[in-house]
Amino acid sequence: MSEKKGIQTVQRDVVVIGGGPAGLAAAIAVKEAGVDDVLLVERDRVLGGILNQCIHDGFGLHRFKEALSGPEYAARYIQSFREKKIDVMENAIVLSLTGDRVVEVSTRGKLQYIQAKAVILAMGCRERTRGAISIPGSRPSGVYTAGAAQNLMNLENIMVGKRVAILGSGDIGLIMARRMTLEGAKVESVFELLPYSSGLPRNIQQCLNDYDIPLFLSTTVTDIVGKGRLEGVKVAQVGEDRAPIASTERFVPCDTLLLSVGLIPENELTREAGVEMDPITGGAVVDDTFMTSVPGIFSCGNVLHVHDLVDWVSMESEQAGQHAAAYVKAGAKPAAAGAAKVSIKPGDGIRYTLPQSVSGGQDFILSMRVTAPWRDRTVVVRNGEKSIRKKMVRLHPAEMIRVKVGKEVASGGNAMEVSVE
Amino acid sequence: MSTTKELTCVVCPNGCTIAVELGADGKILVDAEGKPAIKGSVCKRGDEWAKQEVENPMRTIASSVPVSGGDSLMASVRTNRPIPLGKVMAVMAEVRGRTVTAPVAIGDVIIANPAGTDTDIIATRNVAKAS
Amino acid sequence: MNSNYDVLIIGGGVVGCAIARELSKYDVKAALVEKEADVSMGASCRNSGVCHAGFKYAPGSLRAIVDVKGNAMMDDLCRDLKVKMKRIGKLTVALNPEDEPGLHKLKERGDANGVPGLKVLNREEMQKIQPGVNGVAALHSPSSAIVSPYNLTIGLAENALANGVNFHLGQEVVAIEKKPEGGFVVRCKSGDAFETKVLINSAGLYAAHITDMLGISGFKIYPARGEYYILDKRLNGTVKCLIYPAQSKSAEHSGGGGAHLTPTVDGNILIGPTAQYLDDPEDYACTADVMAQLRREGQAILPAMRGTDFIRNFAGSRAKQTPPEVGGNADFIIEDRKDVKGFINLMGIESPGLTSSPAIAEMVAGMVKNHVALNPDPAFNPVRPGRVDFFEELSAEEKADLVAEDPDYGEIICRCEKITKREVLDAIRNPLGARTLVSIKYRGRASMGRCQGGFCVPRIVRLLRDEFGWKPEDFLERGKTSPMFVGNVRPKGGAA
Repeated sequence: MSEKKGIQTVQRDVVVIGGGPAGLAAAIAVKEAGVDDVLLVERDRVLGGILNQCIHDGFGLHRFKEALSGPEYAARYIQSFREKKIDVMENAIVLSLTGDRVVEVSTRGKLQYIQAKAVILAMGCRERTRGAISIPGSRPSGVYTAGAAQNLMNLENIMVGKRVAILGSGDIGLIMARRMTLEGAKVESVFELLPYSSGLPRNIQQCLNDYDIPLFLSTTVTDIVGKGRLEGVKVAQVGEDRAPIASTERFVPCDTLLLSVGLIPENELTREAGVEMDPITGGAVVDDTFMTSVPGIFSCGNVLHVHDLVDWVSMESEQAGQHAAAYVKAGAKPAAAGAAKVSIKPGDGIRYTLPQSVSGGQDFILSMRVTAPWRDRTVVVRNGEKSIRKKMVRLHPAEMIRVKVGKEVASGGNAMEVSVE
Repeated sequence: MSTTKELTCVVCPNGCTIAVELGADGKILVDAEGKPAIKGSVCKRGDEWAKQEVENPMRTIASSVPVSGGDSLMASVRTNRPIPLGKVMAVMAEVRGRTVTAPVAIGDVIIANPAGTDTDIIATRNVAKAS
Repeated sequence: MNSNYDVLIIGGGVVGCAIARELSKYDVKAALVEKEADVSMGASCRNSGVCHAGFKYAPGSLRAIVDVKGNAMMDDLCRDLKVKMKRIGKLTVALNPEDEPGLHKLKERGDANGVPGLKVLNREEMQKIQPGVNGVAALHSPSSAIVSPYNLTIGLAENALANGVNFHLGQEVVAIEKKPEGGFVVRCKSGDAFETKVLINSAGLYAAHITDMLGISGFKIYPARGEYYILDKRLNGTVKCLIYPAQSKSAEHSGGGGAHLTPTVDGNILIGPTAQYLDDPEDYACTADVMAQLRREGQAILPAMRGTDFIRNFAGSRAKQTPPEVGGNADFIIEDRKDVKGFINLMGIESPGLTSSPAIAEMVAGMVKNHVALNPDPAFNPVRPGRVDFFEELSAEEKADLVAEDPDYGEIICRCEKITKREVLDAIRNPLGARTLVSIKYRGRASMGRCQGGFCVPRIVRLLRDEFGWKPEDFLERGKTSPMFVGNVRPKGGAA
């Protein structure tokens, strides 16, 4: 990289981009693995990411064996992060990232370049918007993504509306249905395009059923009505092709529409750095060390693939941090340099797997999602003659599945396949 | 007259569909051997959960209270233990009337024994004094 | 409020604002009334943002004259007003040999209109300009350009304001009285009235409402809605110039250009517009069937486009004088009415209104001179302060300097478009005093990116509350009828 006139360039061993649960866990793991020179860059004023607005409980059941709220879960990691005296830049944004790991960071009063030996991407995800799913209709005020409404409500003391319809049964939408009800709003209904809910069963019960909020499956919003403020939405049932059935269209009066229609990993920097992407996850293609196709660039958490539980984000990111530290300690060389990688292919019933390839040198956790809900099936991981079988009472696209794969299965051959039988 | 209530168990990720037979009094029916009419769960914890869920469902609830003089406008709060579902609105009414002054630390008791639930509303976020 | 003016302009679209700016060059008491909370809220913010070369219009027509002239004025104007404009040129493509003679006819027309640099290119030549484009030949018009239509309108208005024109926003004209001694009293819904010697009707979609109020019969506007998709900046650079198919019969009838891809000055791509006649001039709804059609057509022209590239839809209305059964386009009407002395009437200023606006303004100023003296104002300053490019578009060195100079440049509010706190603050402190979220968006680009405000709207809300003490009720999306919030979660909320 050519030195830019008048702009400071500093050297760092590891730069972690993002201070949510993934970035915090990764940075702590890097430090614990013995690499001291680690910097975390966070765009918000405070650490913790989206957990700060997730005030409901249910976080940490796997990681801490406790049901914590989001801010409490974050606070545990933040405390550990502070105790380890890890360098952090808050209210700082990464403007660009190159394939040779030059990070352009802007903060109040200063723009600088950081040359890192390893970069850990932990930028999280964003919500899918009205535009992304092409909802027809006019453009009144009162249409929000569920997460934006949650932020305004829980952090800024702002009530976005009084009579609410929700499109999408993602967890944030379900949580917001309860939250708005408890604060005096009337939540009319939740509408879900798919024939099954995309949220956790616990949230269907505790956020909808407890408050008699109906959930209409195979139903979508076909029109948004209102010129100033939202006046209502038209909804219709959809057929098997997911196209609305005109004869079922009806009008639902409401002043607010919340969208909980999916999350998209936020990978603009990743693409800029030339990292190979997985079109299904929307995140980077990684190996079992969470390294991307660009040496020294690692990815973890929701920027890699959208998780159902933050506990898994933390555990995955701790591993990514350990591997990044090992990479730096090995003189910026992959731990299993030279080893042929075994690719992992999603087979029948599997939407994607993470990682997408392995070095075969170690045990690893294989994360995956299924394409449809099933009961009493077996997840099978095959590598030639070798295989692992895991019986599952319940498989659901909304829930991530994690299977431990031993190195004896992961090594050798040239392709593994995962399927539901 | 008995009715069947279907529940999705939330004890573990298996998410069993549990069917509970209820009598006219809303209590779980018991068969000749004294076993409650709960079907569908794969473990005992599920049966226990279903019994509780039908007879007296318990919930942890979360909300926020306004903070004056803090570096953030709101402090999030929750009940430190589950409370009966039927008490949620009464507890919320007490939460709604409460404001606090910074600093606030995680675990601080914001409201003791709300609506006679024998629980505490505790802070779940640290709010420092505004600088 | 009662104010006396020499000239009053009705309508704060690009044409009205261009007239305001033209009049601000003279020592004359002028004002503009606009029913919305900001300028550029109608057709001027709902179009393709194309500065047309002018080869399509009949030689001698008003449209041909003001378009070609306006196009030539645009470089200097945009430079002075700090408005983004790019002369990217246009290829009008003959898809098969039968279409080719049409290209030569268009070139003849354009030459007669005085359009510079027109050339018919063969397949190889046109593919040098836009690799991979289909077709056998194309008419290349190098003077075709793209411009930010709302930034041009805002720039014109702000410069007019700086040079002494008054802007009355949120004032909807409901009645006009002709004074016996000459001049007009213009009454607004708010109860305010404005007196003026000269009245200019630049009300766009509502122009015929204004002539009706004056008892002038014979005008009617037929709104024709056009729908668009906005694509993600990921595809920036894939469309290098404007590409239109040689005019099809159906597109000719609709009087729109036909759906096509248009790059914007900010790096997005638009698919559209369609054309559909409606009764309601402000029915800006997007409709499922048309959206599906645009997705299909866009995919066919731009195979690299994916579902995740759609970031928003919008629609605009053309102020057409031709009813659906006639179709096509009528020529602009720009007239100094003989029957109502002092009334200058602009009717049916649809496409190419954006391109023509500076030339129309000069023409209208010439008509104003028939009624009041226009002496040049020596204090007129054509230059609007500020910078054309957003922070994100500057070089690394320029960015570093700005951040060092003003820390607010170091803080990003809108992460998708990388819009800084300083830029959002500048947008909200705009000279016109427009205070809606859309006003901030059009000036500062915050929330125009792929997350559509999911990330930055809460941050903008916090900023406006901290800096200006705004309450939840103060946040309006477009105006009074579109409040964003209903209040506080806790009315007795915490204070910082």
